[in-house]
Amino acid sequence: MEKQVLAIIRKKNRRAGIFLTIALSLYFLIPLSLMFITDVVNRPSFFYGIPWAWLLAFLQIPLTWFFCGVYHAQAKSLDEKLEGMEKEGGP
Amino acid sequence: MNPTYFLFLIYIVVSTLIITYWAAKRSKTTLRFYVASRKLTGFQNGMAIAGDFISAASFLGIIGMVAFRGYDGFLYSIGFLVSYVVVLFLIAEPVHRLGNYSLGDVICSRFPSRQMRFLMAFSTFIISILYMIPQLVASGFLLRLLLNLDYSVSVMVIGALMTLYVITGGMISTSWVQIVKTVLLMSGTFLLTLIVFSHFNWNIATLIEDVKGGTPLGKDFFLPGHLYDHPLEFLSLQLALVLGTAGLPHILIRLFTVRNTFEVRRSLISSTWIIGIFYIMTLILGLGTVALLGTDALLERDSTGNLAAPLLAQAVGGDFLLAFVSAIAFTTIIAVVAGLVISATTAFSHDIYHHIMKKGKSTEKDQLRAARLSAVAIGLISTLLALRLERLNVTFLVSMTFIVAASSIFPVLFLTIYWKRFTPGGAFTGMMMGLFASLFAVALGPHIMNPVDGWIRREAVVSLYNPGILTIPIGFMGAIGGSFIFRRQSQSLKEFQRFSIQAQTGIHSGRDGNEKFDGN
Repeated sequence: MEKQVLAIIRKKNRRAGIFLTIALSLYFLIPLSLMFITDVVNRPSFFYGIPWAWLLAFLQIPLTWFFCGVYHAQAKSLDEKLEGMEKEGGP
Repeated sequence: MNPTYFLFLIYIVVSTLIITYWAAKRSKTTLRFYVASRKLTGFQNGMAIAGDFISAASFLGIIGMVAFRGYDGFLYSIGFLVSYVVVLFLIAEPVHRLGNYSLGDVICSRFPSRQMRFLMAFSTFIISILYMIPQLVASGFLLRLLLNLDYSVSVMVIGALMTLYVITGGMISTSWVQIVKTVLLMSGTFLLTLIVFSHFNWNIATLIEDVKGGTPLGKDFFLPGHLYDHPLEFLSLQLALVLGTAGLPHILIRLFTVRNTFEVRRSLISSTWIIGIFYIMTLILGLGTVALLGTDALLERDSTGNLAAPLLAQAVGGDFLLAFVSAIAFTTIIAVVAGLVISATTAFSHDIYHHIMKKGKSTEKDQLRAARLSAVAIGLISTLLALRLERLNVTFLVSMTFIVAASSIFPVLFLTIYWKRFTPGGAFTGMMMGLFASLFAVALGPHIMNPVDGWIRREAVVSLYNPGILTIPIGFMGAIGGSFIFRRQSQSLKEFQRFSIQAQTGIHSGRDGNEKFDGN
């Protein structure tokens, strides 16, 4: 049973790691784009002509809600799985 | 003082004191005093976290920063928000499962020792005081500017109130003061945003055009780079902001106030929604300030930008709205400092008094007495420091707190939870190196060493205003290097696996869904 729990933990951490990496990559895209592709992010965007850098920064707000929601959904299903295993006999 | 301002202020003080009186009758045990019996719901705790997190620097500072610095000011708020992804994904649930009342409990669940507990309590204390000083100093200036109160009187009023909330009602009154603050802050900011937006006929294009007309920068206002001209500063600041929250003790101990990890996640999700919506509104208010008041007019009235929101409120809603916004600013400050006092109090009374001095054998009554005395001492120390620092610019201490937290507490928490080769020696070296590297880097940086207006009139040794990009790796390297040096202390694989199961599932901990944790 302990092995099963450890396998679930590894799976959960792997998934969380992937999502966190994506979230942080998108976040650090802001300073990195300002460093390396300044001209591109300073160009006027489709949104009332304000630079793309603003949109990239603003995008982080819904992305934060999205990633937190995804994590919660995954953690909830993991909790249910573990609860079921505990009922069967515990690790 | 304008009678409207005075009435709002009295209303806030009386309301929070009623909450404190109600909470005082319910704070008779350590479980209630430190963690509100873990009875808060996820949404309530989410509101309290938002109330704990959104400081005067966020409410007043970000609006002013957007008004003066445009994009660069907005990036501050983005960093604050995204940091919650790191807290939720990496730290929140393990911290809830491993700790009872303090971060010392979390680390000591893997490395039980008095030294380790002392180290965590010391770091918590330093971070709480570092963060409290700029809040108190800002409160002194703010109340002087808004309500014409003397600086010393303002600081003493705020210092007395925050101490009173904690000594009488502990975490219960602190939580409810923070919840009330969030409701007031969100409703007030929403109202102000609607009024401001209505001035542009609910049209974003009009707002943007008027912003261009309200600043001498014209359309260049929307370009990045008005605060930091070097992108490395950006990267360094963003790194400290995004990792800092995961090391802030006053935020992390709020995770003990709910009963299980489902509610922990709900707490953080609720707080990200509140904080995210709040920062969208501050963006509109910052732009609205430029469009309606103009940058030059704001600069003339207040060069720091902290009065942008009150001045905007006065411009669009007269004295009544200004009084309301001032009352919100006042509530914002007291809610944040109360959270910092309870965090430092828990570190001292639970970790140092109960576990180290009394070796875990003090009675409930003794612990509560120690907690209340600690709160008085902490309130007194921070108030006296804030009174002494009136003439110094201490606003950089806010970003410094994030740097210290990201460089010392975050690496140790992260590696304790996830790295099997981590050792107590590694935790000690990581914590000390991260802490002192941050303190030295800031002390040798342009905030302190500056030929024009620094505390030390010389060229800075460290050129970065935000040295997180240097100090965070130092904290991690210290922790990893220390673990290799002290590798004899490392746990067996079996021991780590048992710990890992407890940290990541709650199995063995007796925490989720039952009351076995009642005690220490």
